[in-house]
Amino acid sequence: MSDFRISRRGVLAGAAMLLASTAMPSFVFAQEPKKGGRLVVAADSEPRNLNPAIVASNGVFFVSSKVVEPLAEASFEGEDGLSPRLATSWEGSEDGKSVTFKLREGVTWHDGKPFTSADVAFSALQVWKPLQNLGRVVFKDLEAVETPDEHTAVFRFAKPTPFQLIKNALPALTAVLPKHVYDGSDIAANPANNAPVGTGPFTFAEHKAGEYYRLARNEAYWGENQPLLDEIIYRVLPDRAAAAGALEAEEVDLAAFSAVPLADLDRISKVPGIEVVTKGYEALTYQLIVEINHRRKELADLKVRQAIAHAIDKEFVVKTIFLGHAETATGPVPKNDKQFYTADVPGYAFDVAKANALLDEAGYPKGADGNRFALKLLPAPYFNETKQFGAYLRQALAEVGITAELVNNDSAAHQKAVYTDHAFDLAVAPPVFRGDPAISTTILVQSGAPDGVPFSNQGGYKNADIDALIAKAAETLDAEARTKLYYEFQQKVAEDLPLINVADWGFITVARDTVKNVSNNPRWAVSNWADTWVEK
Amino acid sequence: MSRLFLRSPEAVAGTIILALLVAMALAAPWLFPRDPLAIVGPAMLPPFQDWTLPLGTDRLGRDVLSGLFHGARTSLAVGLAAAATSIIVGVLVGTIAGFAGGWVDEVLMRITDAFQTVPGFLLALAFVSVAGPSLGVVVVAIALGAWTQPARITRAEVLSIRERDYVAGARVIGMHPAEIAFREVLPNALPPVLALSSVIVAAAVLTEAALSFLGLGDPNRVTWGGMIAEGRAVLRSAPFLSIVPGIALVLTVLGVYLLGEGAVEASAVKRGNA
Repeated sequence: MSDFRISRRGVLAGAAMLLASTAMPSFVFAQEPKKGGRLVVAADSEPRNLNPAIVASNGVFFVSSKVVEPLAEASFEGEDGLSPRLATSWEGSEDGKSVTFKLREGVTWHDGKPFTSADVAFSALQVWKPLQNLGRVVFKDLEAVETPDEHTAVFRFAKPTPFQLIKNALPALTAVLPKHVYDGSDIAANPANNAPVGTGPFTFAEHKAGEYYRLARNEAYWGENQPLLDEIIYRVLPDRAAAAGALEAEEVDLAAFSAVPLADLDRISKVPGIEVVTKGYEALTYQLIVEINHRRKELADLKVRQAIAHAIDKEFVVKTIFLGHAETATGPVPKNDKQFYTADVPGYAFDVAKANALLDEAGYPKGADGNRFALKLLPAPYFNETKQFGAYLRQALAEVGITAELVNNDSAAHQKAVYTDHAFDLAVAPPVFRGDPAISTTILVQSGAPDGVPFSNQGGYKNADIDALIAKAAETLDAEARTKLYYEFQQKVAEDLPLINVADWGFITVARDTVKNVSNNPRWAVSNWADTWVEK
Repeated sequence: MSRLFLRSPEAVAGTIILALLVAMALAAPWLFPRDPLAIVGPAMLPPFQDWTLPLGTDRLGRDVLSGLFHGARTSLAVGLAAAATSIIVGVLVGTIAGFAGGWVDEVLMRITDAFQTVPGFLLALAFVSVAGPSLGVVVVAIALGAWTQPARITRAEVLSIRERDYVAGARVIGMHPAEIAFREVLPNALPPVLALSSVIVAAAVLTEAALSFLGLGDPNRVTWGGMIAEGRAVLRSAPFLSIVPGIALVLTVLGVYLLGEGAVEASAVKRGNA
């Protein structure tokens, strides 16, 4: 078997060398960015609504972030981890009730109209606050946006809102829409949601359902000498195994968001001309969590939850399911977040004996068949890894005498079962940590979320201490004091286990080595790719 | 009959294969008393490396050989149960339609038509997606698409048998029509339907595997289709994870077909001799 593989790899390498040698004369070993060329990218989903101001999710950003720009983008080097886009500077007031943005001058929309502060005011008040999944939380106290001139926007908040939160929210939540396209229409049903108009480096050219999206160069882009590419094609390849094959066959140049299965990375990294890049997802950390339905009498008992936490071997999950491309989690903030993470939380080491003892103490002794009680376990179907972790968790629970019955659903049925009908005992979910706990993390444990809101606390958990802490942090203006409150938040969550954080992971990009400037910011896959170029 | 049966090489091969499979299915809980989904070793161990895990392990470290044995139980159980269900339903519907005739026949046959126009797999897929995957649901889902063929064949047989003299005789002596239908007509209409059973079992095993492959099998049980699906993600780096259960599936279907073929041939020879 292994002999065969080596010889086959040899043949492949040889063939690639031959191909390369014929193409040699056109190879120019210059690293000067080159204008022109087409980038073909593998896309594994085909969102219908491409409006990033309404649907702030990575599937939408992947395509639309090149067309519609936010006020600022995440950056490795920039101050506050940001680099300016449509805003050139931002400043918060002392009382936390206003933030002033200076906007970029000389920017035009793809249809030729000028970009002004009116567009920002419109987007903030008419779209981000009332319609956007994340903006509803962050901009809930936004009262008015004043536009003293065409290039200044002043956000006024009814209640003090931490400037730190607003800054952290800029990359994902502030895609600016053209007022003249949306004003006076039903925003949620506007045709521009399927063919977005923005200020970005690429214009939306066409979408052939089931086949591809095409973006074309915006000749009037504000960035100097940008963009470098002529066009970007997103080839729809829903089958994950197909992405690896397409890369090897040179049909696509780049596959982001781990479109190439983790198990295939080792093999594909040895294919000449293909590079595996793990950078570029630092601000897009996904968290593997176990959601708990606290309405179940057994699970309402802290000892049972602690037992489950002790029954999970996080190292095994990282090593076997994520093949090392993840980090074990200690609490609701991932380790890679330098701003908010604290390691000073109660830990739950993998300890089957202790888990068994805790369950005995809780008053659920093993029956004659070795089982204590049965639970319904619903793994989210979105990722291979969430499904695999579901299979693992079933076995881990069996070791401590809890029978878990797996229930597999498609995405729609899963969301309904967990977030609307609450027809689960345990569920596996992959929420995203978006650089600030207040954006999409505290909502996972805060009480009072209406039924049906996905990725929110639908387990019936209610803890007045934690709720108070979240409310206090939401109006604490001093960044340091606010961070301290989130340390406390992490401790409380790890202590009371409203949910169990198992691991945090970023994604992997696999690209042909002719694609340059890959992964040069912490949200690269969902940034604008204005400086990306291809070597010919 | 049995002597004739064993003279055909297909039948012998089919019998041996199926006997082995049944032995595997029956022996599974004795040879592998642990849950076949339990994690027992390092992940993705290739076959023939560790003799306690002869066929290696899957992506989570579950024993492939144990999965193969326990999977045989699921495959055979679902295959047989689905075939039995569809044959019983089909035979009942066919007998009633053929014997009663008139509007009853019309109604039952139009219903059969309706089921036959929808591809069986699509029907199964739709049913499982709505009812949720579990073993019982999968059996019903497969039977849903498979009962029409036995129904049609039974009806055709019954139509010819009910005109025979002994049926008329039974009527004359005052037997209840239902008694005539099920005691006199049905037993004589059965042989061609039973010849069909091997095809139905084989199709049921394949349909079950296809459903599991698409993630619509019962996730709490090992199935060969599920094992193939699980191995597909690592097809390039660990092909054995898909190949091993694939071979088992091929052998099962082959065995069932060969046995059916042998049975048909033996009965044809017997009829020819008589």
